[in-house]
Amino acid sequence: MAADAMETLAGRYTRRAVRSVFTYTREAHPGENYRHHTSMDDKRSNARAFRDHSHIRRRILLDDLAGTAHRAYGLLPNMTWIIGPGGFIHYKSSWTSPADVENTLEAILDFQTNRAKNEWVAFYSERSAWSTRDLAQFKEGLLRNGPQAVADFERMLQRTGALRAAPSDDVGPRIPGNFYKTEAESSQ
Amino acid sequence: MMNNRTYNYSVFDASPSEFAEFATHAPKVTMRAPSFLLEDLETGRKIQMKDLWKSDVVVMEFGSFT
Repeated sequence: MAADAMETLAGRYTRRAVRSVFTYTREAHPGENYRHHTSMDDKRSNARAFRDHSHIRRRILLDDLAGTAHRAYGLLPNMTWIIGPGGFIHYKSSWTSPADVENTLEAILDFQTNRAKNEWVAFYSERSAWSTRDLAQFKEGLLRNGPQAVADFERMLQRTGALRAAPSDDVGPRIPGNFYKTEAESSQ
Repeated sequence: MMNNRTYNYSVFDASPSEFAEFATHAPKVTMRAPSFLLEDLETGRKIQMKDLWKSDVVVMEFGSFT
């Protein structure tokens, strides 16, 4: 996760009436040291460890044990949403990219400020987004979670590795959230 | 139907469909964001999500320590 950069971004935008919060879900990669939740106390304990380890200053809000909010918003392990006044959904992203969030925030704040003057109306749109992947840091995180977290992830990679291969440089590796299929794959 | 145990899995394995489900079945941009009760880690108090975006823009990241 891009915790540091999201913290920095949160600090920068506070003065522009932007609240940044972290909604705590189930454990994405549970292991011996940070286990899956069997109670809200488990969840609170892991959330505090996260806050302290990653120096989180944003408000941390815990979803219930059943993951009610997490499920309603799509169940992904590290998504980011931007919601405007009145609950208007401006942005939903399957992964968290601080750069992409910042670009979008600037556009949203511009829209809010200038919509009346420019007679803008909002409409639905889709686009791709991208970020770098720090695999070394990710693997460090798995090690911290415990040997089981490492083993579970390795097993998943072995099972799905071929599916993730990049069919071309234009498309890149098909990480989760990249839905591209070649013609041959589409006809299967 | 997902229950607490299946939601809070003890063994990670990627679901083949979860990202596609997010794209097609989760709320879409320009819709109204659903609201649920969340617990503030610092105070223990429950808050309604919609109170966060009454008058502010909210950046809401979902995640966990692991």
